[in-house]
Amino acid sequence: MKRSIGFVVGAFFVLALTGPSRAQSTLEKIDKSGALTIGTRTGSPPFAFINRNNEWVGFAIDLVEQAILPALNKKLNKQIKLEKKESAPATRIPLLTSNAVDLIAETMTDTQSRREQVDFSLTFFVTGAQFLVRKGSPVKNIESIAGKRIAAQQGSTNAKIIREKVPSARLVEFPDQPAGFQALSQRQVDAYTNDGIQLAGLKAKAPKPEEWAIVGEFFSYEPYGMAMRKNDSDFRQVVNVGLMDAISSGRYAEIYEKWFGAKGEVPYPLTPENKRFLQLQVVPK
Amino acid sequence: MSYDFDWSVLWTGQSGSWLIQGVLTTLHIFALGLLIALALGIVAGALRTVPIAPLRWLASGYVEFFRNVPLLVWMFFWYFGVPPFLPRAIQDWLFDHGVEFWAGVCALGVYHGARFAEVIRAGIQSIPKTQLEASLSTGLTVAQAYRLIIVPIALRLIIPPATNETVNLLKNSSVALTIGVAELTFQTRQIETYTARAFEALAAGTILYLILCLTIASIMAYIERRVAIPGMIAQGQTGAS
Repeated sequence: MKRSIGFVVGAFFVLALTGPSRAQSTLEKIDKSGALTIGTRTGSPPFAFINRNNEWVGFAIDLVEQAILPALNKKLNKQIKLEKKESAPATRIPLLTSNAVDLIAETMTDTQSRREQVDFSLTFFVTGAQFLVRKGSPVKNIESIAGKRIAAQQGSTNAKIIREKVPSARLVEFPDQPAGFQALSQRQVDAYTNDGIQLAGLKAKAPKPEEWAIVGEFFSYEPYGMAMRKNDSDFRQVVNVGLMDAISSGRYAEIYEKWFGAKGEVPYPLTPENKRFLQLQVVPK
Repeated sequence: MSYDFDWSVLWTGQSGSWLIQGVLTTLHIFALGLLIALALGIVAGALRTVPIAPLRWLASGYVEFFRNVPLLVWMFFWYFGVPPFLPRAIQDWLFDHGVEFWAGVCALGVYHGARFAEVIRAGIQSIPKTQLEASLSTGLTVAQAYRLIIVPIALRLIIPPATNETVNLLKNSSVALTIGVAELTFQTRQIETYTARAFEALAAGTILYLILCLTIASIMAYIERRVAIPGMIAQGQTGAS
């Protein structure tokens, strides 16, 4: 019985996934349609968000436009357009496997279990989980959250780590950042955990940034990569070459400065270690 | 694009216990929400038909206000909007005792209460007016007539649309994940997080909701058969004209 239900449902999803055309490489698809479709966020400043002028912008979107599109144009020898669709942690892998998007460019952490489903570009940003708290809160780091109410983002690696390391913490998971921050500002939770850079984004956007503090050492390692369909190394090569060229030419540093520099959306200086790490990923031509 | 299914993710690791916890939480929030919804629905539905104008206005106000605002907004209202008006000590107590769950119960109960009220009103209005007049002429007060005659008959008549509403309430309980209630949909997403297997997790959720809803439908069908007054639906209406 169990097997037959599994089979029926499996068949249903396979039908849903199998388009009319047979397996087509991503480069062929982009060449034919003339557009690269990315999945990205609308509420993750400064990586991808809708700004005050109602424009969909961000660091990850700039990287795609200024690093990956030029590499694609060169490879396919034509002008490729960029199309954006909204993705979320729960939808980004299905969006890729169903061909709805070709590339996920947002705040997706590269993990081993995700690598079983999708392929990742090289790491384009490095961060780690911390806590956002009201100034003077007893929560200082992951050691001091036992018995506390902690908000986290659903589907994030941070929630997983807290559940495993500090099972006595009362974890409340929200689907998006605004709800988690709202719970924190109403004192429904004692701290909100997410990747440090996202907390910096939230703090910078808060009505009174000086009321909030980002505390604790990184208790997780979150390397952001761009995800694409598995086993499509030609496309991945173009994406990686685009990123490598941007890092070695200084284009990456300019885009970084625009979003994370002193005058950027979320000031977050590039540490020497992270800079070195990015440069070491660039293999010789 | 082909996709290799790996159904074993649903019973290896913690997935199985998460799904069970998810089903239990969904049933818990559903049962409490249903109790509130039925209580509010019966009272408001009955009041909408009574011959006393202020009570009718009150009930109409409740129904229109709660029915016409999206459930998601009510979730946020009960979770973020209500606690700040309570004294600090009660707030702290609530925050330590799963406020998100109770906010979810209130949101579902009050929202679906307004929808149930309309179903019950329709049931009451389908009963010939002469029934009420006859019961009043035997010396019953309006309250007694409603309690002993009208509402018991109406509840039997509305079982099919009430089944709809009940199934809706169960499915709408998934909206509670927006305020952090770890119900079934939440747990399927959790499995996706841990295994990166979205399709398997989604399929498991789909099948579990299907089983739950079919169970509700068959329980309601059983109740319908048990409490049916022979000939009531067909003959009651022809008798009215």
